[in-house]
Amino acid sequence: MNKSWKSYDSGSFFDELLTSTGNPRLAARGIMNFLRNLPDGELEERRAAAELAIRDMGISFTVYTEGGNIDRSWPFDIIPRAISAKEWDRVSTGLKQRSRALNCFIDDVYNKQKILKDGVIPADIVLESTNYKPQCQGVSPRYGAWAHICGSDLVRNKDGKFYVLEDNLRVPSGVSYMLENREITKRVLPELFQNYSIMPVDDYPTQLYKTLASLSPQQNRKPCIAVLTPGIYNSAYFEHAFLAQSMGAELVEGSDLFTDDDDCVYMRTVDGPVRVDVIYRRIDEDFIDPEVFREDSKLGVPGIMRAWKAGNLAIANAPGSGVADDKVIYAYVPEMIRYYLKEEPLMESVKTYLCMLEKDREYVLKNLDKLVIKPANESGGYGMMVGPHASAETRREFAKLIEENPRNYIAQPTLSLSTAPTCIDHKVEPRHLDLRPFILQGKDVWVTPGGLTRVAMVKGSLVVNSSQGGGSKDTWIVESNK
Amino acid sequence: MTMLSRVADRLYWMSRYLERAENTARFTSAYTHLILDLPRGTELGGWQVLVDILDAEPVFKKHYRVFNEQNVLRFLIADLNNFSSINYAIKAARENVRTTRDVLPEETWEHVNELHIMCKDMAEKSVGRRHRYEFLEQIISRCQMINGLLMTTLCRDHPHRFIKLGHLMERADMTTRIVDVGAGAILERENNNPAEDTLLWSSMLQSLSAISAYRQKIGPLVEPDPAVNFIFKEQTLPRTVAFCLKGILEELQPLKNNEAAIGIAESALRKLTRFDVQKKSYEELHQFIDQFQIYLCDLDNAITNTWFLPIPTEPQEA
Repeated sequence: MNKSWKSYDSGSFFDELLTSTGNPRLAARGIMNFLRNLPDGELEERRAAAELAIRDMGISFTVYTEGGNIDRSWPFDIIPRAISAKEWDRVSTGLKQRSRALNCFIDDVYNKQKILKDGVIPADIVLESTNYKPQCQGVSPRYGAWAHICGSDLVRNKDGKFYVLEDNLRVPSGVSYMLENREITKRVLPELFQNYSIMPVDDYPTQLYKTLASLSPQQNRKPCIAVLTPGIYNSAYFEHAFLAQSMGAELVEGSDLFTDDDDCVYMRTVDGPVRVDVIYRRIDEDFIDPEVFREDSKLGVPGIMRAWKAGNLAIANAPGSGVADDKVIYAYVPEMIRYYLKEEPLMESVKTYLCMLEKDREYVLKNLDKLVIKPANESGGYGMMVGPHASAETRREFAKLIEENPRNYIAQPTLSLSTAPTCIDHKVEPRHLDLRPFILQGKDVWVTPGGLTRVAMVKGSLVVNSSQGGGSKDTWIVESNK
Repeated sequence: MTMLSRVADRLYWMSRYLERAENTARFTSAYTHLILDLPRGTELGGWQVLVDILDAEPVFKKHYRVFNEQNVLRFLIADLNNFSSINYAIKAARENVRTTRDVLPEETWEHVNELHIMCKDMAEKSVGRRHRYEFLEQIISRCQMINGLLMTTLCRDHPHRFIKLGHLMERADMTTRIVDVGAGAILERENNNPAEDTLLWSSMLQSLSAISAYRQKIGPLVEPDPAVNFIFKEQTLPRTVAFCLKGILEELQPLKNNEAAIGIAESALRKLTRFDVQKKSYEELHQFIDQFQIYLCDLDNAITNTWFLPIPTEPQEA
């Protein structure tokens, strides 16, 4: 064994590659045998090669700072994470179930509102949510699908089980990095692929294309699909361009589009206007149409909502989908599954305390040092508090926030996120990670084999967001019939 | 095949900037070589000539006082205040590719990005004579590689068309500037020693990558009138002005609403064909190039107004 591994110890956490006795898990056997037997110093060489590849491939994301926007290289750890195909099968079935129920829910609350009338979910928490958009009432997108692209965040707890932490139904990002991570691993650790049967990930753009095409209002012709981006200063611009290119779709900005008197949306092209059938929007819904939502938006397209409501244009994800992407609603997803699908939930959810309920609030305020407090509808890890790591002052601050605006906060027990070996300063150390698979729903439902694994690069940290110093790993779904 | 006006605009400029970087590298390299060959005292307008080609004296004066080798070369190679410097042009080209990579062959972005990293890291260090040649060679060959990649992998439709337009427009522009400033410097130099003529005119053709073609077509002896005539009118060499204009016309042909642009390009070509360099003074040559530059400017405006800033007309199905 080379010396980088000598002192590796994941403590009491579940480690993705090693068992508690330090032996490789079945799915990780090949990876571990190879890495542990690399001559001293070679792991570092491979790491440097990966860094160079990332720089040359121009894989970057944008970080906003006071001094301007910085285009930063994508942070990547070369040691892959492996999950057995058998386990993944179960997770993927559970995710499909969840996505179907969430879409039933969104379609219901903008139309008949059966679930509210039946009292399964209190009507006011849905209808008074800032994520509920009355402008979307009465619209019935094809197949009842609203959240066509969902990026769910999963974590593995101490018990070894995957839990759904949140469902990102608005504009989830990260999928291009999932694809690029595989490319980099193939370049820097090609030997690893020899004795493994790893499910390929590069099918994603095709599946996304199929999903989007199935939404087109004009099924009798090849659909004109456009990816709507806020522009190059968006942190995920790289991904927008990547997806447009790999689907052969147009990458458009708001100013490239206009809505004509016929309630159809057109692109401005060198040959004159061309009608668009499907828009994959990567702009927050509040900005997509100044006629309907924020008037000051320069990113959107005036009239695009008219076109969508008239059925002349499909928008993915449909405006209003965010209603199910609310941490209060999250607590009710198991109920939704039972209500709409008459099935028992297959995926675990995290026990969630709703600060709006008096009993829950009392418990939360008493146990701030044990819980994670999250605002109901922020994303990117902003505005949250990890109780056990927070100072007494921060806890007091959050207690005040909760009492002032209980609807806005939820609390969950601190999970013991699993770890995986990660290269840190010439050594290998355990770091916490999560997993974001992507679920596509149009005519059919499809789940990525694996997803984007994000790693908290700081020792002991649980914050995996790239905007806050997180890294990522290639994620392998491994067929282990040997 | 649809093409967004915004994308057409960016491809056009990507291509112009790449061509600009390559041209600046070529004439800088050729001039540096020439200076090594010239006997001391042959002044030839000094290093300022290089700034004049880019018509950039006002910008230069803002940041430097003296037209010495160090200042001028820094201005041409590394200075980001100069929109025609190699460093700026590569950066701008990269920014344009970054926002159009979805319509370009996959490797384009990677190569342009590598070129940008190399340029950013090396530009400042390559101002001095020691590394300059190697740097300029790298710029030229990498630009050519990217061009080659585009020419061998792009479908012959709109993206290719606007890339080619940008490329030919920039080249026609640069070529006429180099002839203008080069001929001026040679013909108007002090201590006019006719023995140096061949060396100087050869160097000008060298900076346009036209010297070997000239030798094959015209002959080994490089003389002023045939040289200018060759670089203006030779039909077969991709670096001549006539070749660029013909190429531009060819690319404009399949585009919609092309009347204005074609009109200007045809007038420019007619003017070039009628121009007879024989018996012309430098003053007359200079005037001709000035007028010709106005045509290029009008043509650029016509392309911009017609295809990059379109006003919605009748909708049509894709």
